[in-house]
Order: sequence, then structure tokens, then C-alpha cells
Amino acid sequence: MSIIIKHWRSTGLPSNFNLRIWRLHSTNADVAAKKGEEEEEFRVLDILKKRDRVQRRVARRNDVQPDRAERMAPDQNWGNVWPGPKTFHPSSVPLPLHQGYVPKGQAPPGKKANAELMKIPNFLHLTPPVIKAQCEAIKQFCTEWPKQLNSEEAIETHYPVEIISSDYCHASPTIRNPLSRIVTLRVKLSTLNLDKHSRDKFLRLVGDRYDEQTDLVTITADRCPVKKQNLEYVDYLLTACYHESLNVEEWEKDKTEDDMEYYDWHKNASKKSLVQWFLRTNNEVCDLNDDDYVQYDVSQIPNAEGYEKAVSSLMNDGESEETVNNYAIAVRKLLGVPEKKIVT
Amino acid sequence: MLTRNWRILSRQYSQAVTFRTNESSPQQHNEKQTGLFYTLNQDTCKSLFSNGGFPKSFLKQTKTFTETAIMIRQPALDLINCIKSTNFDAPVIRYVLYGEKGSGKSLTMAHMIHYAHEDGYLILHVPWVSEWLRRVPRHKEMSNSQTHEGFVDLPLDAAAWLIHFKTQNQALLKAGELKVSEEYVWSKREKTEVGAPLSELVEHGITRVKYACDVIYALVREIKTLSNKKQCKTFVAVDGFNSFFYPLTRLNTPTKRKVKPEEVTLTTTFLELTKNDWTNGVILLSADQLAVPDDHQESYFPRYLLRKKGFEHLDPFVPIEVGRYTEKEFLSCASYYRDRLWLRGPPETEIELKFTSASNPYKFMEQCAPL
Repeated sequence: MSIIIKHWRSTGLPSNFNLRIWRLHSTNADVAAKKGEEEEEFRVLDILKKRDRVQRRVARRNDVQPDRAERMAPDQNWGNVWPGPKTFHPSSVPLPLHQGYVPKGQAPPGKKANAELMKIPNFLHLTPPVIKAQCEAIKQFCTEWPKQLNSEEAIETHYPVEIISSDYCHASPTIRNPLSRIVTLRVKLSTLNLDKHSRDKFLRLVGDRYDEQTDLVTITADRCPVKKQNLEYVDYLLTACYHESLNVEEWEKDKTEDDMEYYDWHKNASKKSLVQWFLRTNNEVCDLNDDDYVQYDVSQIPNAEGYEKAVSSLMNDGESEETVNNYAIAVRKLLGVPEKKIVT
Repeated sequence: MLTRNWRILSRQYSQAVTFRTNESSPQQHNEKQTGLFYTLNQDTCKSLFSNGGFPKSFLKQTKTFTETAIMIRQPALDLINCIKSTNFDAPVIRYVLYGEKGSGKSLTMAHMIHYAHEDGYLILHVPWVSEWLRRVPRHKEMSNSQTHEGFVDLPLDAAAWLIHFKTQNQALLKAGELKVSEEYVWSKREKTEVGAPLSELVEHGITRVKYACDVIYALVREIKTLSNKKQCKTFVAVDGFNSFFYPLTRLNTPTKRKVKPEEVTLTTTFLELTKNDWTNGVILLSADQLAVPDDHQESYFPRYLLRKKGFEHLDPFVPIEVGRYTEKEFLSCASYYRDRLWLRGPPETEIELKFTSASNPYKFMEQCAPL
């Protein structure tokens, strides 16, 4: 608009016209002010502001119905009142509920206008009779439980693989929970029917996923975004490990004594030192090679069997008070040292 | 004054029966004296342990108590019993002491050294292997071995050990019956001839520190042959033996290379000594958690501490556990501490101390200190 004004000015028209143009675009307030100017009147100083004081409204009585909760029959069908999950509503719940934090000694606020009660999820739609009724309704779609699977053992033998996954139910904008993708597979190692070699190889492949005490192999997958994918992946892992452990590779023949999964006394230094010791006690010259030591018959050495057992158990079962004591007893017998006296 | 003396005397007399034994010769110790203290003669103590052999805290305690009293405990009696019935024609038997920290392995060893000394053994005692391999003072003397390629010598430590050996076996060395069987040529002008007394060899190592490690190597070989010939019987005691088998030592070569224990000449020497390819001797070793760094102290059992290599080296050995105090030993020790005024206060403190120290000898001693 200002551009137009400038234009008019440059033409040099009389200022009256210019003013009129201004008027055309002025606000209504200006018009009102002009009106006031015309009917001039003194303002009255109203000190007590009597004129502004609003007259007190007379409370109008309206007939409020009593709360719905108070009108409910005690033997009503609750499932109809609260059929599905929803936020708490005080008038629909005929219970004297209180919820909220208060200083000590006071009662928590009641159910009406109580935000605390509305915040928390409720299970008012899942009362036992309702669940029962719903189960009854679903029953027509179920099949009968197989009679052979009457015990835990039976289930374990027929279905050795156990799949564990979690579903999450919560009140948030999305019903997806990323944790529900995780799938765990559990299987007893004994049900795989592996032989000595493949069992050892399988254990090396699964590493710390095997629990010796329970004999369970636990494989967990969470790398795929969806549960189904993880489930398939877990299946694949078990299958791959199983078949790989059945294979015997060429390089497995290079296994040395350090790679052994158990302690074989006959192939170890312990037997060698025992044989050397025995030959020395008999003043014989020992010029045996390694194979001779492995082949050497220990039955001619007195008390060697107990010693062999003690060393093997010390190595295989780990060191403990018991195994070390057994070792001490076996060695004392072998070397002809008197036994330890037990002091009471 | 007189009454005070009388009181002390009577107190000692009244308690002497309960925790002390007058039998100061370990050969005579038997099961009846379990838990009793016997006092070491000052002179023997000086000759046997003046260069180490007692733990530091015990050494301090002997100073405080003005006497060296060792408790006769079951492991030592067991060992004495074993040694007495050993067939000395068979290869040497190796005994390994093991047990928790502070349970008295070193003191059991000291007791056994006293026994060996009394019994006329030639003693080869290494007070603490970690002193060589793990303790690095500012000026640790190290040099490359002249005779063994790629090996490291610890000449000062070796010489110190030779002095220790000399003081421990003064009587036997002075007798001069032990002769060198081979000729050793150290340099152009120095050599030890066949038939020279063993003390000359030792003396050479002490005066010519450069050759100390080689002297020890020669000495060990000589002693092995002497024992085989039954000219002497030998008692080997090595405390903290498992330190030889920890993969690394704290030593560095001048080129900042970490030294492995098997690269130290002393290690090879003592591993050679602890093999069972000789007779007429006793080998007593100890596997101690304190001899290795913190990361390998999870268990006190011998296989764990000795590692695979050490176990295979020693196998078959006789493991001997040195445990905590039994009821009887604890009471005897408590009354000994009361006698020495190390422990005072009402008698109920002992019950409490037994729980707080879990009957561990070292902890018990420590906890009594402020009482």
C-alpha cells in the first residue's frame, strides 16, 4: 500500500485527497473515536466500582443422578461392565479404591479425579470368571493333549529341542517390543547321540554354550530383527554344528597331547617319569623312546595302578582336597613311604 | 625384685608343662609333642638361619620374644617319620609342602632343616627362590653366562647362596672328607683340581664372584656324585619352588628383554638337583602362593602352583599339606603368646581370635600384636 501512496505523492495531488485515501484504509477504531468525539460526554469517576460489580448468581439446582458405581447391583455380570482393557474410570468401578502418595498419617486420595489410578495399567477386564468364560469359548478350537505326553520325561524324549522366546504386552503407542525377537534354543547334549570324537568336536564348537552340570546346550540368537528369522537361524546353527562335528578333517590327525580334552596317563609325562623311576630303583639303564614308554606295561610295577588312577583323577577332575589326598596316598604307597598319621 | 623374679619363674614353671617341650633335638620329636614349642639353640640358629630361612615376620617375633621357638607340628613329624623309614638306595623322594598363605610352610621347612642338621645331612637350602627371580633391587647384578650360551648369571645372589651354604654346613666342610671328583678349569690360572676339598670349591665361588654360578653348578654335580657314592647324605630344601615355573621373571637383560626362569643358570642348576636321578638324599620343596604374582594365586594346591611343567618335573612327589592350627595347637600357641606377653586380656579373647583369624597361624600372630 505504501507504494501506492508514494505514487500519489509524486503526482502532487491536493493533500485533502491524500487524507481521504488514508481514511479509507484506517481501522474501525478510528471511526468509533470520531463518533465519540461527536457526542461528547464527561466520564464519571466510579470509585467503588458499583457498576462493574457482578451480581451474585443464585445457585441453580439441577437434578444430578447418583454415581453409577453406587447404583450397580452386587450380582451383576462384571464382564459386561468392563469388557476390555481401558483406562480406569471411577464411576464404573464399585470399589473403594485409594491411590497416591501422601505424607505419613493421611489416607491416600480416593478414586475420583485420581490421576494416579489412571496412569497405571489395570487388569479389571481379566477377572477369574471372565478368563474362565473366555477359555470356555476358545475350547472349541483346541485339540486334545496327546495322551503319550503325560509326563515331563515323555515330553523331553519326544521333543528334545526346547525353544524359548518372550512376548511382551504393554500399553504404549506400539505393540512391538524389540526384546521379543530373541530366541533361545536348548537341547540336551545326550539326546544328540554323538560319539566320542564328534562330542568333543561339538563341545569345542559350541564353546561356553554347554553347561556340564545340566548337560544342556543353549544357543541364543538376537541378530535378526524378527523372531521368525532368529528361530530359523538358531535351527541352522544347531544343524551346522551337529553335522560339522560328525566330519573328520584331515588336520585333526595333528592333535597333540596339549590339545587333548582329557588326560590320558599313558601318553603323558607322568608315566614316563614313573617308568624311569622304576628302572632306576632296579638299577637298569633306561634307553626307551617315546613309543616304548606308551607301550610299557605298568602292571609289573607294584602299586602303579593306584598311582595311575590318582594322577588321572587329579588331572581330569581338577584339583581339590580329595584328589590331592588320593594322590598323596597313592604316591606314598608307590614310593614305600609310610602313610600319614591322622591326628585326632 | 626377688619376688618378681620368683613370680616369673613360677609362672614359667607352671606353664612349662602345657606348651613347651625341653626336647630340643628334632630327631626325638614324636606325636606326643604335637603342638608344643621347642626352643632352638642360639648357635645352631645362627649357623642355620643367619642368611635367611625364616620368614621376615617370624624373625621379628624371635627378636621380640628373645628366643627362637618353633612349634612341633604334624607335617614336620610326618616328614621325619617318612625320612626315617626311607630306603636311601632308591632314587630320592621329593616332598612338596603346600598350604594356605601363612600356614607355616617355611617354618615347617626350618624345623626340617634343623632335623637334617642334627642328623648330619649336607644341607642345600634355598631360603626363597623369588629372592633371585622376582625381587629386583636397584642394582641387581646380572651378566650373560660365559659357559652356557644364551643364559643369564646372577653372580651376587649365587655368591650369597654359597655363603649361606658354607655357614650351614660348616662342620661337614671343615672335616674335609668331601672331595671333588673332577677337575674344573675356571680360567688360565684358576682351576680346582681333582681331590680338592669341597670347601675349596665353595671358597672359590665366594672370592671369585664371577664364577659363582658355575661353581654352584659344579657343586651340585659333585654333591650328587658324592651322595651316590654314599660319602654324604644330602638334604635339599627349596622354599617357593614354584617360582621356577612361572613363565616370566621380573629380570630384564640390558637389552630390555624379559628373562624367562629357564634362562637363568641357577634355575637349571636347581632343577637338575631336584630330579630323582640320584640317591641317598631327601628333597623338600614348597609350593607357595606368595612366590608368584597375584594373578596366579587362586588356589594353594601344588598342581596349580607348580603348573604343568613343574608337576611333570616333580612327579611322583609326596604332597604334604601344612594346614591351619588344630584346636590343641591353637590353645598351645595362645598360651605361648600369653607367656611372652604377646597376648593379654581376658581368656575369652582367645575364642574370638580363633574365629577372626580362622586358626591361621600368621593371622593369629598378627591379630595378637595390638592386644
